[in-house]
Amino acid sequence: MFRDGLGTDKSRLGIKLYGFIDMNKKKSHMRVNIGGITLKNPVLTASGTFGYASEFEKLIDLNRLGGIIVKGLSLEASRGNPPPRIVETPCGMLNAIGLENVGLEAFVKEKLPFLKMIDAPVFVNIYGKSIADYADLASRLEDIEEIAGIEVNISCPNVTCGGMAFGAYSESAAQVVRAVRKSTTRPMMVKLSPNVTDITEIARSVEGEGADSISLINTITGMAIDIETRRPKLANITGGLSGPAIRPVALRMVWQVAQVVNVPVIGVGGIMTAEDALEFLIAGAVAVQVGTANFINPHATIDIIEGIEAFLEERNIVDLSDIIGTLNV
Amino acid sequence: MYQEKAKILWNNQAGNEYYRIGLTCHKGYSGAKPGQFIMLHFPGRMAPFLPRPFSIHRIIKTGGRTAGIELLYKVVGKGTKMLSGHCKGDVVNILGPLGNGFIFSNHYKRIFIVAGGIGVAPMLFLASYLKTKGTNSSECMVFLGGRSKDDLLCSDDFLRMGMKIHITTDDGSAGDQCFVTHPLETALERDRPDIIYACGPLEMLKCVAGISEKHTVPCQVSIETVMACGMGACLGCAVERKEASGNYMHVCFDGPVFDVRCLEL
Ligand SMILES: Cc1cc2nc3c(=O)[nH]c(=O)nc-3n(C[C@H](O)[C@H](O)[C@H](O)COP(=O)(O)OP(=O)(O)OC[C@H]3O[C@@H](n4cnc5c(N)ncnc54)[C@H](O)[C@@H]3O)c2cc1C
Ligand SMILES: Cc1cc2nc3c(=O)[nH]c(=O)nc-3n(C[C@H](O)[C@H](O)[C@H](O)COP(=O)(O)O)c2cc1C
Ligand code: FES
Repeated sequence: MFRDGLGTDKSRLGIKLYGFIDMNKKKSHMRVNIGGITLKNPVLTASGTFGYASEFEKLIDLNRLGGIIVKGLSLEASRGNPPPRIVETPCGMLNAIGLENVGLEAFVKEKLPFLKMIDAPVFVNIYGKSIADYADLASRLEDIEEIAGIEVNISCPNVTCGGMAFGAYSESAAQVVRAVRKSTTRPMMVKLSPNVTDITEIARSVEGEGADSISLINTITGMAIDIETRRPKLANITGGLSGPAIRPVALRMVWQVAQVVNVPVIGVGGIMTAEDALEFLIAGAVAVQVGTANFINPHATIDIIEGIEAFLEERNIVDLSDIIGTLNV
Repeated sequence: MYQEKAKILWNNQAGNEYYRIGLTCHKGYSGAKPGQFIMLHFPGRMAPFLPRPFSIHRIIKTGGRTAGIELLYKVVGKGTKMLSGHCKGDVVNILGPLGNGFIFSNHYKRIFIVAGGIGVAPMLFLASYLKTKGTNSSECMVFLGGRSKDDLLCSDDFLRMGMKIHITTDDGSAGDQCFVTHPLETALERDRPDIIYACGPLEMLKCVAGISEKHTVPCQVSIETVMACGMGACLGCAVERKEASGNYMHVCFDGPVFDVRCLEL
């Protein structure tokens, strides 16, 4: 209880009328549940933008994160694309990293021991070149207790089928999710590609195959050209657009998907501040992922957590769930 | 590694397109190594969107204590242009010190430093670091190259440290009219150095690499790539290894200083 110098109980005096800050206010509940996993707050790190978390150890308290999603993992190590791999664009960036990663074995040996020590659920983002790859990887992760769940990245090219992304069609998206579901009993988040005609159709089909939660969006395919050399600015020619430039698109898609599925939706795309995150929560996301913002402000996740908390407390909202999906239309 | 708001102590023009900027920083920068860099971003700005990498040019000391860092930068585009418009007292966000610096070994007695254009930025810090390591300055030779005399920076600083200096320009407006690698090779043939440290344009580094290989003199180079994070999170700064097999190396955490034998320049 807060007392001033005169020993009066300010909260009982109704200090709000006098414009003081109510120090007696309760801390708002930030806990959320995403498909079987309780997070202490709704802020996760987006895959591929937070390394394997150890990179940020000296800069933020990793234990404060709602969750950590590590760099996309494949069965075998992958070199990724040739450079240049990134280019700045208005309010965002294009990347064509090409899913460079250390592969399952090195991940377990070199990265997992550190991740284990963090008091936040760790999700492994997985991808494969074939449906069998996805299933194989999921089943090998099945017994690793320290992993809270997996996030299935279906935005990868289907090598055996013309190179279109699995996530581009509801049939191929469903096939991947079905195969992974058969290989794992662990919480499974499925991450959607925005490069589709109707995102709700894909969302419904992955939900139908047993996704425990759905995250969206991955990057939007784009390109940039050097007009002097007339060459693409990325060696891969095209890349994935991320950052605030994609936020309105991500928000619209999250809103659409949240209306048609029953599983929790996790919003991703251009979130830089608590206000941005709140837009997604109001649109119906149960949690959010912070990606590109980590490059500009490595402290972004913590700033966003604190900002959401402050927003709730200032408005006397006791539970975060009281704002989720409360869009007034 | 520290993320902080840094106050600008000064931002002085040092030639046509060049500036020296002093920034306050965490006292932990006293442990910074030459070749390490920082990422700089303008608070609350969406353009430029990504932070920009800059080498540490000098550690600013007052009364023996680390009071800040100085950067030397060239205006080449929107970020550096915006930086040049900042004034004393303004605040920028910095993250650093990042990456691995130049490696020094006690058996390096005779040392060649090669700097092309703005590539001189980390080399002044390197030179003063070598002094603290007890290197005999008269055994250090600096090869400074630029397009014209306006692009030659820090020559007085090296001279003040007692180092010998060779100057070259592309247009002959100062020193010899040739590439900086000419006097380098001549001097090297006369008296082999134990190490070459180099930073500058890619073409220059390729040439230095060739000389180092031809004469089997060890050589460390500091290289640049585009960067998003500067700290190992994005994997955007990939460079090819010499044996173009295996994985890529990453400039921000494997470098920016590399043993030239590992790199495919
Ligand atoms: C490790 C490292 C240390 C560096 N140290 C210094 C330093 O001490 N002083 C200094 O002046 N510069 C340094 N640079 C280069 C500096 O980062 C770029 O000049 C700067 O990012 C350009 O930003 P801009 O917005 O002004 O240019 P932009 O508008 O982004 O681009 C203008 C031009 O510069 C080129 N460019 C953009 N980014 C880079 C880059 N990272 N490297 C090379 N060229 C680039 C572009 O291709 C374009 O032609 C360093 C780079 C790295 C990677
Ligand atoms: C450099 C970079 C690498 C990424 N790598 C992956 C990845 O490995 N797997 C994945 O599912 N998404 C990856 N993403 C996509 C992000 O997780 C996120 O969905 C996207 O960037 C949009 O969010 P943002 O605007 O907050 O960055 C990557 C994004 C960037 C910028
Ligand atoms: S710049 Fe991000 S990993 Fe090197």
